[in-house]
Amino acid sequence: MTLNKIEEDIQELVVRYRPIIAFRVRKALGAQNVDCEDLVSEILSQVLEKIQSGEFRGESSLGTFVYTITSRRIVDYIREKSKVMKYAPEPHPHPDPQETLEAQEMSERVKKALGFLKPKYRDVLYLYYYQELSREEVANRLGISPRKVSELVNYALKLIRKELKI
Amino acid sequence: MRKCKFEDFIDGYLLNRLSERDKEAFEEHYFNCSSCFEKLQERDVIIRTIKNHPELLITEKTEARVPLLATLKKEVRAFFTPRQLVLAGLTALLVLVVIFVIVPRNQAPAPNFFLTDEETVRGSSITLISPVIDMNQIPSSFEWKKLGENIEYQVSIFNHQLLWKATTKENRITLPEEVKAKMVPGEKYSWQVKAFSPDGTLIAVSSRVQFKIAAQ
Repeated sequence: MTLNKIEEDIQELVVRYRPIIAFRVRKALGAQNVDCEDLVSEILSQVLEKIQSGEFRGESSLGTFVYTITSRRIVDYIREKSKVMKYAPEPHPHPDPQETLEAQEMSERVKKALGFLKPKYRDVLYLYYYQELSREEVANRLGISPRKVSELVNYALKLIRKELKI
Repeated sequence: MRKCKFEDFIDGYLLNRLSERDKEAFEEHYFNCSSCFEKLQERDVIIRTIKNHPELLITEKTEARVPLLATLKKEVRAFFTPRQLVLAGLTALLVLVVIFVIVPRNQAPAPNFFLTDEETVRGSSITLISPVIDMNQIPSSFEWKKLGENIEYQVSIFNHQLLWKATTKENRITLPEEVKAKMVPGEKYSWQVKAFSPDGTLIAVSSRVQFKIAAQ
């Protein structure tokens, strides 16, 4: 395998898995955690290192291999942090690192799409996603069936996605 | 395109509703399925936008809609199990049946008083004509509405107790002087008439009407 080919594979791997690892890390630690970005880079380095050292033998998929390393590192981080945090002050709130330009732009488009929705869709999204009521609770609040709630949510999401793809 | 079975986990994962097992399974899945990860990211942005801008979704109806009826339903459901609800409904039905069907049937009907074989008067009412309001002077006679022929009326006048009682077959009676002498201006009195058929059966009773004789 040429050096160029290895470089390409590494690039491809980073491009593919970095957002997935970042998503998993932010979900586990909270998007405002200042250590998220460092942890993501560290996990990626570990993955590359283990692949190069032949630890990945193809027994599972590459995705599962990356997932396993990510999950272990998150658990280790939480263990370390819970020891440290007994004595350390709470970190200051940090701007959401996920709020990249792309995400901000997407969020703007979602806002626009929400504004176009008919009241019946807005009502159901408000109760289901904002108030985090269950499908049955939303159904009770609106006097409709749970199946109808699913239909309304799915259709509203379809309308929003349509707006995002324009 | 066939829908991936894990797509239904997206909302549950983002809203932290999955069991630990499903959560781990879904996490492993989206590390392997780029289609689900794309949808997950997209849904995440949508939910975060909704969380940050709920005002975009609040309609006039959101607060006002249903609440009254639906909240009532919800409250009732929260209070009663379905079985209790059915029992409560049946009890309410039973109470209504008792009030509107059984009780009216068991009530004694208004008495019918028989004047003759042909003539019947439904009991209770004799209309008093005079005096029924406050008087300037002691009334010299008492008058009421006639019920029929051959009826004997019994007239009673009360202050705190029975002052005088007399019978007549007319529909008016003149107050004797000795009774008038007992009545005092400024005092309150009441009177009542009862009607009896020729065989002495009570057939009607008037209400007891109060009147006051003005002070001189």
